[in-house]
Amino acid sequence: MTLRYRRHPDLRLAALEGEGVALQLGTRRYFTVSESGVLLFDALTSPRSIEELVRVLLEEYEVSADQAEASVRAFLDQCRAAELVASEDAP
Amino acid sequence: MEPPGALTIAVTVGDPVAPQRDPRPVFRQPGVAIRTGPPLGGVHIWWDAAPASAVLGPAETRAHVTLSPAAVERFEECSRSFLMTVLIFLLRRTAWHHVHGATAIAPSGAGWLIAGNSHAGKSTTAALLASSGWPVGTDDIAFLAPAAERRVAVMGFRSPIALRPGAQELLDRAGGIRLTKRQKVGYRPEDLGGEWVPRVEPAVILFTSVGDAETMATPLGGRETMVELVRWSAWVVLEPEIAQEHLDLIARLAAQARSYRVRLGRDLFERPERLAELVR
Repeated sequence: MTLRYRRHPDLRLAALEGEGVALQLGTRRYFTVSESGVLLFDALTSPRSIEELVRVLLEEYEVSADQAEASVRAFLDQCRAAELVASEDAP
Repeated sequence: MEPPGALTIAVTVGDPVAPQRDPRPVFRQPGVAIRTGPPLGGVHIWWDAAPASAVLGPAETRAHVTLSPAAVERFEECSRSFLMTVLIFLLRRTAWHHVHGATAIAPSGAGWLIAGNSHAGKSTTAALLASSGWPVGTDDIAFLAPAAERRVAVMGFRSPIALRPGAQELLDRAGGIRLTKRQKVGYRPEDLGGEWVPRVEPAVILFTSVGDAETMATPLGGRETMVELVRWSAWVVLEPEIAQEHLDLIARLAAQARSYRVRLGRDLFERPERLAELVR
């Protein structure tokens, strides 16, 4: 089983010049989103594994695979805590 | 300037529909309790001051309002808070989205939106600009609306510019309309030497606050502008089926206008033109 991630259904996102604002309609909170965060949220419109999200960052930024993975994990941790991202087990 | 579609507020006098069995979290605005979204769908609005309720179906442009006899007795107050909230929700269904702001048009032709809370100097600034001959749309209640070529227009709700006694004194203005319950005095833009303008397309957005020092303006980036607009468009977090449309308008407006955080000083009463100079 692989854990896959996707946007939380209560997430609404708007971006401008790469950066964005995210709304969580359930908790009625809003968040600023960095350029890489917008990129990851764009990818998360369909379910993604951590490895797939790491590849998204590696295609856009000149960083090591370790750095990209650390960024993805930190992003997912924050987003799950804020209920901006949901996870599911996939076969 | 009218919204694209008819809106109806059907009013009955009787026993308002209390929200006891509504499990949804309450979104509070001054004097008003709002419940929206799943699992019931639609909107329930309750006025605390004297019982009154409104029910709107998820996509309905008709609101079913029930006023208690006590609410009818306080109709002016009811119109300003409860019925205005009902209107805001109806207008959302025609893609007009509320923002807490004042609007004006500079002599250069640039549209301005001045957003902020009720102590941010919006009304005083609107009065000052009208006194300098600027067209002014509203000092407080405005609506973002889609315009041609993916631009965003802001519609002003026509009501008197409401000044506290201190601001009235600083502007050296007599007369006006006594807004007794609000302890303010109201002026139409025409009373101050300006004119009323129903619609502006903002090229400049100011997020204001009031200070003691000289007036200062700091440019804001796109993300900061969006965050500020979300802050002053409180309803954006309500009604999942409408929230994205509202948020998209905010993003488009942030892209179309130059934005500034402005600390308003008393120097503006001597030189109101300084505000336009700072954001040129």
